[in-house]
Amino acid sequence: MTDVPLNLLRRHLLLGGAALALPASALAQATPRAGTLKVAFLGLDTADPHRHTGSIAVQQVYVETLTSIADDGTVKPFLATGWEISPDGRRYTFTIREGVRFHNGRLLTAEDVRANAVRVRDQVRGGWLSAPMRLVESLEAPDARTFVMTMKEPYGPLLNLLSELWIVAPESEGWAQTIRLPIGTGPFRFGQWQPNVSFQAPAFAQYWQPGLPRAEAVEFSLRDDSDLSLALRAGDLHIGRVGYDKLASVRADPNLEVQFMKDTTWWFWSFNNRSPRPPFNDIRVRQAVSFMLDKPAFMRFVAGDAGVVTNQMAAPGQFFWDKAMHGADAHAAPNEERARALLREAGVNPATTPCRIVSWQSAYSEIAVQAMRKLGFQVEHLALDDIGAQRRLGQYDWDLAPFASGPRADIFLRFVRLMSDGPNVGLWGGTRDAEFDRLVRAAIASVDLPERRRLYLAAWQRAIDNYYTVVIGHAPEPIVNRREVKGYAPGFTWGQHRVDGGLAFAAVTARS
Amino acid sequence: MSASATAGMPRAGGTGGLALGLAVLGFALLAGVFGPSLVPHDPLVQELAARNAPPDALHWLGRDHLGRDVLARLVAGTRISLAVALGATLLAVGLGAGLGLVAEALGRWPSFLVFGAFDMVRAMPSILLALTLMVALGIGIWPLILALGVAFAPHMALVARATWRREGSAGYVAAARVMGASSLATLWRHVLPNIAGALVTQAAIIMPRAITTESVLSFFGLGVSPETPSWGRMIAGASRYAESAPHAVLAPVLALCIATLGFALVGNRLRLALDPLRERGR
Repeated sequence: MTDVPLNLLRRHLLLGGAALALPASALAQATPRAGTLKVAFLGLDTADPHRHTGSIAVQQVYVETLTSIADDGTVKPFLATGWEISPDGRRYTFTIREGVRFHNGRLLTAEDVRANAVRVRDQVRGGWLSAPMRLVESLEAPDARTFVMTMKEPYGPLLNLLSELWIVAPESEGWAQTIRLPIGTGPFRFGQWQPNVSFQAPAFAQYWQPGLPRAEAVEFSLRDDSDLSLALRAGDLHIGRVGYDKLASVRADPNLEVQFMKDTTWWFWSFNNRSPRPPFNDIRVRQAVSFMLDKPAFMRFVAGDAGVVTNQMAAPGQFFWDKAMHGADAHAAPNEERARALLREAGVNPATTPCRIVSWQSAYSEIAVQAMRKLGFQVEHLALDDIGAQRRLGQYDWDLAPFASGPRADIFLRFVRLMSDGPNVGLWGGTRDAEFDRLVRAAIASVDLPERRRLYLAAWQRAIDNYYTVVIGHAPEPIVNRREVKGYAPGFTWGQHRVDGGLAFAAVTARS
Repeated sequence: MSASATAGMPRAGGTGGLALGLAVLGFALLAGVFGPSLVPHDPLVQELAARNAPPDALHWLGRDHLGRDVLARLVAGTRISLAVALGATLLAVGLGAGLGLVAEALGRWPSFLVFGAFDMVRAMPSILLALTLMVALGIGIWPLILALGVAFAPHMALVARATWRREGSAGYVAAARVMGASSLATLWRHVLPNIAGALVTQAAIIMPRAITTESVLSFFGLGVSPETPSWGRMIAGASRYAESAPHAVLAPVLALCIATLGFALVGNRLRLALDPLRERGR
């Protein structure tokens, strides 16, 4: 689990980093570039980094950002060597790193950064950056090394969110519409892409970090394989994600090493908050069914020993997690007797009450179904694919939705999904709570970290009290690599290239 | 393989094969009808602490990945898989043979239109068509029966048309028409009883295909809802744990293979028994 020290966060937020710490670069300098890394994480849905709607795992190797999320979840300088924030928290002045070259050989300037920010602000709708970009007052590049971003109001998560504003050369093919051949500054170039099959990225010889990348190329498998453990064991893959249920067999293989991502995936169930159907609009009924949730058993099922039970969107030990709130979790253990008593009190007869559950086609959703059936509800379970589930959730004709969500660059990206105008709010039941929105907005606008934490926690307490979403627990995703891979460690998010690690630092040696 | 080489081998369509096929189907039917009341476990009840537990004295086929009794789910799945296959086959017969025969009886244009539509449906493989229909209709037993019935209807229609045309030239059909019977009346009273054997044979061939297609659709998550114990769902759920809990995936796979074999044996025997060409060849 990641424990982010308060003083460290504050220092990075207010001052920025004056210098880039590259712990592995010195080691990398001495190693000649060799081998092709074969990896599989998530997919690549578009060649246009500004328009991506899915994973950031692949594109991060050929395009870079001003900031980077470090292993400990803090924000660090990347293409920017540092930044200053004005006392009112509205004006961000970035110093752009010197000597950074695009894949076409041209040097990166502040004007390139400005052009990318303008493109995202003016052309891209949806996505994580849409909210901060709506708040941009001006974007300026007063000289070749200075980029200034002025917000209409203070926006706390900005530096973290800028870790997903990828800088592409404006001369890239398709810039005016959809970029087809992105020219980035990353350690690998945009090579051959076969959608849903593979993506090959050769090393960029003029990469700005000396000695990196350490591999000659990286080859991503983009196939939607549910189980990569066999490919890893056979040596067809060097690095890949593996399900918790395969960890035992993977650990038994001496050629494989298991590591965990630094941030967590978290599991929850949401009630329909936008248009709740009786009797699920009664808080006693929500409370009752939540008493049927066996959180410890659920987490053991989805994550084995790696799972932890809690009631918050931040994982235990993280800065935005609260111990007292955790201790007050009314649903830390199931209580069937209490559940039935609450239903009686609410005058609900489950035997005559339909309950529609929407989920992905995941085994853990069946545990939620079982809980409702055990209570006697007439369950209709709609297990759908990602798009089908999103569509159905948007119809708000359901009662309960068990889902999971992955690591994020900033805690705001978790809170925003419960805001009235947040992106993809269906998973969280389309909450509409003006007070919740106000608290999250105040948290975002707060420059003072303890105050921001207080406001986020106050917002989350509302979610707990009103049973908008019931958090079950957290677990970090296991990533497996073959032992002939040296220097690789998974990061805080799915991004596979960051300031202090990732695929640029990984080398593949001959099999022993 | 030469004729002499196969002379000593039992024929799949022989009486031995028929007996075996009937025994398998009879057992499956009994298991589907009475099994759920004989197995002392609820196929839906989970016990997460006993995930993937191997067979023991209480749970003869062990537990699955959610700690559910595999035998109870297998038996309940037999009922669902057979019911879906039977429903889909009946729908295919009604829709395919019924519509096809009526269109043929009504004349050239109705036949052209109906079989044109069937040809369009046939352009897509049955499983792909069923898959597309399930995406459109949503999951559940009734959408599944509808999707499979529609997917297999063209096969029934073609058999019905072929047998109708064969029988249409027969003397008894001409006699009925001379007596003033309408096309539909001739079809209903005289032709249908004579082609029923061929239709039953085709239905017996479609049944195992419907079972396997249901399993494939359920495997892809498009059949019945996830917790419903159909064979396909059981295979889909347990296959991920095949390495650590092979018992949970082997049970439905074997059930599927054996039931398919049973239907194939019975269908083949029926085809041989009712084949008019074979009759004439004697």
